[in-house]
Amino acid sequence: MAYEDRAATARPAPDRIAARDRRRWLTAVTADGGRATTATQFLVLDSVAAIGFAGGLAGAIVAVPQGVAAMLPWAGLAAASGVARGLFAMLSARIGAAGAEGAKTALRRRIVGAALHRDPASAITTGAFMSAVVDEVEALDGYVARFLPARKAAALAPILILAATAAASPVAAGILAATLLPFIVAMILAGGAAADQSRRQFVALARLTSHFADRVRALPIILAFRAEDRETRAIGRSADELSARTMRVLRVAFLSSGSLEFFAALSVALVAVYCGFNLLHLLPFAAPEELDIGRAFFVLALAPEFYAPMRRLAAAYHDKQAAETAADRLAALPAVHAAAAIPMPTGPIDIRFDRVTIRYPGEARAAVSDVSFTVPAGRIVALLGPSGSGKSSLLHLLLGLAPLGSGTVRVAGVPLAPGASLAEIASWAGQHPLIVAGTICETLTLARPAATAREIDAVVRHAGLTPMLHARPGSLDGPIDARGGGLSGGERRRIALARALLKPAPIMLLDEPTAHLDAEAEAALITTITVACRGRTTLIATHSERLAGIADQIIRLGDAA
Amino acid sequence: MTTPLDALIAAERSRQRGVLRRAALYAALVAAASVILLGLSGWFITAAAIAGLAGPAVATAFNYMLPSAGIRLLAIVRTGARYGERLASHDAAFGALARIRPAVFAALAAQPPAVALGFTTGEATARMVGDVDAIEMRFVRRSAPWGAAAALSAGLCLAALGGIAAAVLAAACTALLLIAGRFLSERIAAPGRAVQRAAGQLRDSFAGLADAAPELRCFGLEEWAATRIDAQSRVLAAAQRSHANAAAWFDLLHAGTIGIAAAGTVALAAGSGAPRAALAALAAAMTVDAAGPLLRAMIDRGRLIEAQVRLDAVFAPAAAPAVRARVRDRAPAVALTLLVDSCVAAPGTRLALTGPSGSGKTTLVEQLLGLRTSAPGRLRLGGADVTTLAPDGLRRCFAWAPQDAMLLSGTVRDNLALANPEADDATLWRALHDAALDARIRALDHGLDSWIGENGARLSGGERRRLAVARAYCADAPWLLLDEPSEGLDGASEALLAERLVDRLNRTGQGLIVVSHRPALTAICTQRLDLAPGAARLRDAA
Repeated sequence: MAYEDRAATARPAPDRIAARDRRRWLTAVTADGGRATTATQFLVLDSVAAIGFAGGLAGAIVAVPQGVAAMLPWAGLAAASGVARGLFAMLSARIGAAGAEGAKTALRRRIVGAALHRDPASAITTGAFMSAVVDEVEALDGYVARFLPARKAAALAPILILAATAAASPVAAGILAATLLPFIVAMILAGGAAADQSRRQFVALARLTSHFADRVRALPIILAFRAEDRETRAIGRSADELSARTMRVLRVAFLSSGSLEFFAALSVALVAVYCGFNLLHLLPFAAPEELDIGRAFFVLALAPEFYAPMRRLAAAYHDKQAAETAADRLAALPAVHAAAAIPMPTGPIDIRFDRVTIRYPGEARAAVSDVSFTVPAGRIVALLGPSGSGKSSLLHLLLGLAPLGSGTVRVAGVPLAPGASLAEIASWAGQHPLIVAGTICETLTLARPAATAREIDAVVRHAGLTPMLHARPGSLDGPIDARGGGLSGGERRRIALARALLKPAPIMLLDEPTAHLDAEAEAALITTITVACRGRTTLIATHSERLAGIADQIIRLGDAA
Repeated sequence: MTTPLDALIAAERSRQRGVLRRAALYAALVAAASVILLGLSGWFITAAAIAGLAGPAVATAFNYMLPSAGIRLLAIVRTGARYGERLASHDAAFGALARIRPAVFAALAAQPPAVALGFTTGEATARMVGDVDAIEMRFVRRSAPWGAAAALSAGLCLAALGGIAAAVLAAACTALLLIAGRFLSERIAAPGRAVQRAAGQLRDSFAGLADAAPELRCFGLEEWAATRIDAQSRVLAAAQRSHANAAAWFDLLHAGTIGIAAAGTVALAAGSGAPRAALAALAAAMTVDAAGPLLRAMIDRGRLIEAQVRLDAVFAPAAAPAVRARVRDRAPAVALTLLVDSCVAAPGTRLALTGPSGSGKTTLVEQLLGLRTSAPGRLRLGGADVTTLAPDGLRRCFAWAPQDAMLLSGTVRDNLALANPEADDATLWRALHDAALDARIRALDHGLDSWIGENGARLSGGERRRLAVARAYCADAPWLLLDEPSEGLDGASEALLAERLVDRLNRTGQGLIVVSHRPALTAICTQRLDLAPGAARLRDAA
C-alpha cells in the first residue's frame, strides 16, 4: 500500500521537469533500434495505398459509360490497393509487436532486479511488485506497438493525402487543412483530461491486487471467523472502485475519440457537399476550379483517409497515457543498489556488533536498537527472541539487506561499509528454503554449481539427508516441484542446510532453521547443525531454547513487550 | 457442460440485459449509418456530376437538399451511436467484472481447506486479475454480431440498387471473410491460450523467487533468479508476439476483402449507371468493414478459452465435497468432547494443551476449526463428530488466536472487526485492555484507526500476538482457542495477560483451550491434556 500511496504523491502536478524526465525514461526503455521507424514507414505506405484505392474507384466510376472492359484496370487497381493496405497494416503490426516484445522484457528485467535486491522488510509488498512486473509493464505494449509508429505516421501521412487531394481539387484540400486545427485542439484537450484518470486507474489496480493477495495469505483466519462473506464484499468494493475508475478513463477516451470522429465526419460531409455543389454549379461563390466526376469522387473517397492517421493516433492515445502513468510509477521503484563486496579476510573471522541500530526507511520504530555482541571466530552464537524482535534483521544486515542506522559491524576487525555484504564469505539456511523445480541435486548445487559428486555426498551425509534419499525414487536425481511437494518441513530444512554446507564459507547464517518442526525432528536437526557448523563462525536466529542450547553464547533480544 | 463460471457469467448477462441491448442497438445503428452514409455520398457526388453536365436546368431541379442533409444527419448519428455503443458495452463488462472478481475469492474460500489453502498467492492473484480481465471480452464483443447483421442488411439493400449480382458479391465477400476468420481463429487459439498461461506463470514464479532474497544473495543467485524470471517474461512476450503476428493476418484478410468487394461490386453494378455503381461499391466496402468487431472477437478466442479453464479450477467444486450434517447450532451450551483420551471438557472448562513441539497441538487446534481434515471419531463436539459438522457451525463455536498472529494488512480496527463487525468502540477497547495492548494502541497516532502494515509489520512480535488475542476476545464464541498467546512476552506482560484473561473468563463464562508451555498460563487452567507420545494424557491441572 505504501508503494501506491508514495507513487500517488510522487507527482503532485505534471510540471515540466517531471514530464521531461518521464519522456527521457520512456525513450530509454523503449529504444528499439529503429523498429518504430520501420513500422511508421508501413503506416505511411498504407496511406499511399489508400490513394491508389480512391484513384481506382474513381477511375472505375468514370469509366462506367465506356463499359466493363474499360473499368477493369481501375477496379483491379482498387482491389490491389486494398490488398496492399492489408499487407502494410499486417507488417506494421508485426514489427510493432516485435518492438514491444523487446521493450517489455528489458523493462521487466530492471524491475525484477529491484525486487530481488530490496530489503525483505521494505514497505513495497510482493503483491505491489507483482502488479508492476506484469500489469504495469504491459502498458508499454500499446505504447511501443501502436502509439509510437502512429505518432510518427500522423505527422507525415496526412500531408501525402493532402497533396494527392490538392492535385485533384485545391479547394477541397484547403477545406481539409482548415479543419485540422480544431481537430488537433480537441485531441490535446481530451488527452490532458485523461492523464489524471489513468493514474487513478493504476492505483486502483495495484490496491486491488495487494488487497486480494493479502486476504489469500490470511485465508485461514478469515475462514475461522466466518468472515468470507464480509471479505468478499470488501474485495468487491475494491473491484468496484477499479471498474469505476477504468470506466472513467474509458469515458474520456471514448468521448475524445468520439469528438475526433465527429470532426472528421463533418469535414468529410463538408467536402462531399462542396464537391456536389461544384459539380451542379450551384456554389454561392465563384469557384476557382471546375471539378469533374472522377476528381470529385477521388477527393471524396480520400477525405476520410486524411483523418485516419490521426484517428489511429487518438485510438492509441490511451496507450500513451497508460505508458506514462506506468513510467511514473515504475521510475519511483527503488533503484538496484548492488551490495559492495568486501575483500575476503584471511585467517579466523570474528564478527563484532557494536551498538548496532537498524531502522527501515519510513518506519517509526527501530527494528533493532543499540545491540552489542561478538561472534568469536569459529564459534556459534544464538540470537534468541520472539519473531519481530530483530533477529532476522541482524542477519540481513550482514548481507546488505537491511540498513545500518548507527553503530558499527566489524568483520575480522574491518568495519562493514553501509550496504556492504558478506555474501561472498557467508552461507545461509532459512525456514522457507528456496526449492526449484527439477532434481534434488539441482536444488542442492544452487549454492555451488561446480561441486563434485564426492562433496555432494559429504554434505548429504552431514545434513542427514541419506534416509530420505534412500526412500525417494531416483535418489539425488529424483524430481521435485517448486513447492517441494512430497517433502516434509524437516526434509526441506535439511536440504537447505546441506546446500549451505556445500558452500565453503567461513561464516554460517541460520534463520530459524528448526521452526515448526516436531520435537524429534528438531532434536535430530540440532545434532546435525552442531556437527555441521563446527569450525565455522555461526550466527543462528531462533526462538527455540533447545537450539540455542548448542551455542557457545546466547544473545537475548528483548521484545518491546 | 455448464460450469459455475458460465452460470455466473450468464447471471451477469441477464442482470445487464438492458445495457447490453442498448449496446447492440447502438452497434446496429453505427454499422447501418456507416454503410448508408458512404453509399449516399458516392451516389450524391456521381449523380450531381451527371446532373451538372446535363445543364443548369437539370442541375437546379436536382434535389440536393435531401441527400446533403442526410449525409450530415448520418454522420452525426454514426458518431453518437458509436460513443453510446462503446460506453454501454464497457459499462456492462466492467459492471460484471466487479462482481466476478470477488466471486473468485468467495469460490476460493468455499473450496475444501486443503484445496483453498493450496493455492499460492501468485496463482490466486493471477486468476483474479489477469484471467477475469480476459472475461471482459465476453461482454464487450456481444454487440458485434448485431452490428455486422445491421450492416449486412443495409449494405445488401443498397448494393441491390446496383443489381442482384452486386448484392450477391457483397454478401459472398462478407461470408467468405467470416469463414476465413473462423479458420484463422482456430490457428490463433493456441498462441492466445499460451499468452494467458504464460502471464499466470510469470506472476507465480515472480512471487516464488521475490521472497527468497537472503538465500539468493548468499549463494550469488540474484542473477540466476533474475534470469529465471526473465525466461518466464520472454515466454510471455514471445507468446504475445506470436499472437500479435497471427492476429496481423486478420488485418490483411479484412483490408484485402474490402478492396475486392468494392472493386468487384463497381464492375458488377456498372450496368445500372455510374451513380448506382458508386453507391453499390461504397456500400459493399462498408458492409465488409463492419465485420471488423466480429473478427476481433475471433482473435481473442484462445485467450478467453484459457482464462475460463484457469478460472474453472477455482470455481469448480473440488472432487465431490463431503456430505455435511446440517449445522447443529447448539452454540453456547455445547459440551466439547475431545476423544483423544476421552477427555470431556464441559462448557466453561479451562484446558491447557501441552506437549513438545511437533506433538500435534496446533494440528489439533486447526482440526477443531475445520481447517484441516481429521480422522473420524477423534474429535467430537456436542456429541457429534466434527468431521460430520458443517464448517460454519463448527467455527461459530471457537474464537481463535493463531500462533503466527495472521493479521490483515489494514488498521487495528479492521483486524478486530474481522472477528465481530458489530462490536462498538467500547468492546474493542475492552478486548485490547484484556490483551494488555490498550496502552500501546492508545499511544499510536490514530488509535484504533492506525495502519499496522502488511501482516502487522509495524508492530513487534509480541504486540502482533496480543492483537490476535484481542481479536479472538472480540468474537462472541463459547470457546476461546489461544495458540501460544504469551510466546515472546516478558514475565510482567505475561502475568498481566494471564490475570486479565482470568477476569475475562470469569465475566463471560467462556471455555478456554490454550496451547502453552508457560506456567503463567497453564496455572490458570483446570485441566491439562498432554499430547506427548506416551504421556499420561489427561490430568487435573491442580
